[in-house]
Amino acid sequence: MVTLDVRPQLLDALSALRDRVAAARFPLPLAGAPRARANRDELLAQLDDYLVPRLRQPDAPMLVVVGGSTGAGKSTLVNSLVGQRVSEAGVLRPTTRTPVLVCHPEDHHWFSGMRVLPRLTRVWAPHQESADDLLLPGEDGRHELRIETADTLPPGLALLDAPDIDSLVADNRVLAAELICAADIWVMVTTAARYADAVPWHLLRTAKEYDVTLVTVLDRVPHQVVSEVSRQYGALLTKAGLGHVPRFTVPELPESAWGGGLLPATAVAPLRNWLVHHVQDPGSRHYALARTAQGVLDSLKARMPELAGAAASQYAAALRLTSAVDTAYDAEYTRVRGRLQSGAVLAGDALKRWRAFPLDCTAAELLDALVESLAALLLCAVTAADERVDDAWRREPASEAPELTDREASPESTEHRIGLAVRRWRRELEEYAEDEVRGLERGAAPDPESVAALVATALLGGRRARSAGEGLAERIGAHGALRLRDRAGRLLTEHLDRVLHTERERRLAPLDGLEVHAEPQAELIAALSVLQKER
Amino acid sequence: MTAVTDQDHTDNDQTDNDRTDHEQTDHEQTDHEQTDHGQTRNDQTDTDRKNSRDGRDGRDGRDTRDSRDSPGAGENPPVGEQAQGQAQAQPQGRVDAEGRGTVEDPAKASCSEPRSNPGAGAGAGAGTEAGGTASGGTAPGAGGSDPGGDPGGAWDDGLIARRVSEAAAAEQAAAMETRVGGGGGNALPSTPLTYDGPLRSRLDALRELVGLSRTRLDSRTLAEAGRVLDEAAARRRLSGQHTVVALAGATGSGKSQLFNALAGVNISETGVRRPTTSAPIACSWSDGASTLIDRLGIPGRLRRRPVQSQDAEAQLRGLVLIDLPDHDSAAVQHREQVDRVLALVDAVIWVVDPEKYADAVLHERYLRPMAGHAEVMFVVLNQVDRLPGEAAELVLDDLRRLLDEDGVALGEYGEPGATVLALSALTGDGIGELREVLGQFVTERGAAARRIAADVDAAAWRLRPVYATGRRSGLSEEARDEFADRLADAVGATAAGEAAERAWLRNANRACGTPWLRLWRWQQDRRDPPTGRLPVRAQADDEATARQRVEQAVRTVSERASAGLPTPWAQAVREAAVRGAQGLPEALDQLAARAGLPPGRPPRPGWWPVAVLAQACMTLLQVVGGLWLLGQIVGVMAPNLGVPVLLMVTGIIGGPLVEWSCRLAARGPARRYGQDAERRLREAAAGCGRARVLDPVAAELLRYREVREQYGRVTGVGAAAR
Repeated sequence: MVTLDVRPQLLDALSALRDRVAAARFPLPLAGAPRARANRDELLAQLDDYLVPRLRQPDAPMLVVVGGSTGAGKSTLVNSLVGQRVSEAGVLRPTTRTPVLVCHPEDHHWFSGMRVLPRLTRVWAPHQESADDLLLPGEDGRHELRIETADTLPPGLALLDAPDIDSLVADNRVLAAELICAADIWVMVTTAARYADAVPWHLLRTAKEYDVTLVTVLDRVPHQVVSEVSRQYGALLTKAGLGHVPRFTVPELPESAWGGGLLPATAVAPLRNWLVHHVQDPGSRHYALARTAQGVLDSLKARMPELAGAAASQYAAALRLTSAVDTAYDAEYTRVRGRLQSGAVLAGDALKRWRAFPLDCTAAELLDALVESLAALLLCAVTAADERVDDAWRREPASEAPELTDREASPESTEHRIGLAVRRWRRELEEYAEDEVRGLERGAAPDPESVAALVATALLGGRRARSAGEGLAERIGAHGALRLRDRAGRLLTEHLDRVLHTERERRLAPLDGLEVHAEPQAELIAALSVLQKER
Repeated sequence: MTAVTDQDHTDNDQTDNDRTDHEQTDHEQTDHEQTDHGQTRNDQTDTDRKNSRDGRDGRDGRDTRDSRDSPGAGENPPVGEQAQGQAQAQPQGRVDAEGRGTVEDPAKASCSEPRSNPGAGAGAGAGTEAGGTASGGTAPGAGGSDPGGDPGGAWDDGLIARRVSEAAAAEQAAAMETRVGGGGGNALPSTPLTYDGPLRSRLDALRELVGLSRTRLDSRTLAEAGRVLDEAAARRRLSGQHTVVALAGATGSGKSQLFNALAGVNISETGVRRPTTSAPIACSWSDGASTLIDRLGIPGRLRRRPVQSQDAEAQLRGLVLIDLPDHDSAAVQHREQVDRVLALVDAVIWVVDPEKYADAVLHERYLRPMAGHAEVMFVVLNQVDRLPGEAAELVLDDLRRLLDEDGVALGEYGEPGATVLALSALTGDGIGELREVLGQFVTERGAAARRIAADVDAAAWRLRPVYATGRRSGLSEEARDEFADRLADAVGATAAGEAAERAWLRNANRACGTPWLRLWRWQQDRRDPPTGRLPVRAQADDEATARQRVEQAVRTVSERASAGLPTPWAQAVREAAVRGAQGLPEALDQLAARAGLPPGRPPRPGWWPVAVLAQACMTLLQVVGGLWLLGQIVGVMAPNLGVPVLLMVTGIIGGPLVEWSCRLAARGPARRYGQDAERRLREAAAGCGRARVLDPVAAELLRYREVREQYGRVTGVGAAAR
């Protein structure tokens, strides 16, 4: 058994682990992601609300959380244990919407600060909720915790009345789970009508998994059937491996029902005595606290690898998505190169212009046509790549992430970007041509624009533009023609690479924005192993 | 207090025969046939049991065919066993059953006939099949041609069916009175269920919809709709006089207690041990419902009879009550049972109690998804005796609020919707009211059809994403034009037109130009390399069409066409476009080579010879003037400077003048020629694209529109419009 002394190294390891858990993200909608997210939140809540504060301050009062199904009579039970009406009870479900914490006035300072349950806003004014009941807590996205003091409770004991674990209000369910995670002692309340329900049993099994200090209360049992129901329930518990759990039975009394009244002290005396004993007897108290803390620490051994596994699968999915994009763009790049080689640009309009050049077509027109044709080729390649990516992503569940699906669908802007790039290439090409022509002697200098057009044709036309090369050589000399062609060719490759690279980056940007990396997995495991060493 | 197990297990294979008999009865309006059957029935009750083996054998053959419709049929233990088991459990029950057995039931009376007469059996079987496959009047004449043999197919289609069912209802009412008067008669003639016109047409539309979409959607998407259709067909074949109502609820809410209270007898085990009921139990208020119960897969040993009492019988006649296991206990198989049976019953009574009425499981798992079934739903707040005073009203209001939030329409103020009641099965408070409501509900006999309608609604709603997007779809005129433009770009129509125009103009200029200019040009040509000088037609390029432009054009048009379509159909449109685009560039290549320029020599305007003649005259004038001058210089001719100079000047000025005016005049024809060339190419490309891409896409869109219309009919929107 771990002793409950303050141990700085352990606390350091634990808070490091907590930070790792808090940093873990599961943005891709994989099959296990919602579960991983829930696990992460639950673990974080348990660390923040329970484990760290408890290990830091072993002397803090013992927190007993009363949880159970809707209508199980949790509030009535808490009221009866305290001996006064602190929590609203009623016939309408769900009754308790704001959790209520009751403690001895001396212990008030333990809970007024943000030591435990830091996410809940403290509400001080008691019994005012009826006035502003219209504003349901949780509607504005934050929860509240009402703190009551009662000197009928022994010092060192705090009771927390949680909302229903199976509430129709989904927010309440989350809150209930969070509160239960914060408990030193779990009190599960069920009733004669409910003891076979699936939801509470799920919670009981969780309690067993974490090996927490657990108490079950079978509430609202009609007098006639007390023994039978109790026996049944006991049998079910034993079957589930929870036979050792203390079991208390509270009969159904007229007061218990629907008035929100208090049960007579005798009805809840055994439970109260048990709790008081565990608070006041140092041995029992220590045992109860240590057991829950130990259980939660132990549970980390299984839960952290689970989180790490989820993080790893996130990363794997992100890799698959990225590689789909890469494959598509690589394939298209190869295709574009091949097409350029074979002179696909010199087709259609451009080819007709070339055939008419120079008699029926000016150099500027030919260049225009070529540039347009080149832009069309690039646009075609990019959209084809995007289509391939879409196809590949459709098979990946991870691509359903909203960040990935709502990319602006504007082929026009792609067209615009490609148009810009191609026009810049043309401008630079014309500058090269002018450079080359300037070097020639004045008299024989040909028109730089027609030189540019011829170079472009020779570059983009493949085999069928062989005569363009010849014409070029004739005009500026074989040497100059070769040099110009080389420079222009390099320029073309450069622009082509840049265009496809930009488009690929744009496609990958949302995925990069999700920041799914390989590190969290390793970090989670490392944090766990550090913690294990410290224990 | 007695409870009796329903005896007529043999009904499974009798439905068709029932129909046969009723056809006869209803048409001929003869009573003596019924009495005949009644007598036969007396004899056969025992024979049936003895021959139960044979009966089962006889049924097996049918079961293989009908297994889809009555999944539970195979689970029945041998009839003999059932009879035995129940004889042990309820000794008096047997007697009671016998007593009731003597009452005539035309349905049962004929049960041995098809067995003894294989031909008749086959006929009846065929009738069943026709009934299963007939969709809204496909076999209208069958009943007329062979009224005794197989009326099943035509039974509830068309006008005759309506008339028949009305007649049947009228007769039933009469029969009911006489039977109540006569005492002990509780057998309802089991007329198969009829759906009203709108529902039938919706079912037909759904069937057609499923058929139309099979090639486009995967079977998983259509499974739910298929199930609804199957269930609708199966339910239609079974008794329409009975209403199957299930009692569902959480563990400990008092379902069994309420069941017993309604039946007036302690049928279902109640207790504090949770969960109590582990298998569904059926209780039928009248005979002829066994096929219905078979369908639910409830074995014979779990079938019961309510206590005998005249008014209760009359009130709840036709009710088949099913007590279900809980849906929220830790026993998972209970939940499976509940889910299975809930899909098959006609109506559901949700039993909740003050403790559990707000359970998330109930609302999220059942009430919200089934909100569309509000009309066949009762929500009963049980155990109000545990609530003090006005608390019951509060809880009931809260329950109504929760139901409202679930989207369940509440049947208040005469509007259709779920009925919400508070009662206590323990003290009997409110049971009478439930009985009354239930009795009325059962007497209406509309529950099964309403349930099926709600099922169709739900299935249609679930299929919504694959059929409707709420956006406009279709291929606009602009998109088509744009596609044609892109194809024209791909084959280079504009450039070709311009080139043709310029070439023509050039030729015209050359033809009408001065001979000196022509001479100079000719020399120029000889010196220059022949780059680009060759006529366009001379060189047949391979791959003259810009592949990338064609690809992009097809992609754009398919994108436009599939915008606003649900995913599967958009995919289909895209595939059609891509399929059509295969070979499109090659076709355009050929086309460009063929239709590039107008065939034959370029047309010449009528004034051309005149212009050439004028040009020749000018040249002649120059020559004549020149020669004349030369002659004067040489001295051959008389010196006269004026005339030859004038001639020469006229020739020199007139030549370019003629050329210039010809150039002006040729501009118009040249443009026409170029435009003609462009238009030819453009139209050829557009025609090619239309035939290969646009038409398949349009066909796909049309198919979608058809399906969309069919879907509208399923949701009932189109039905009103028709």
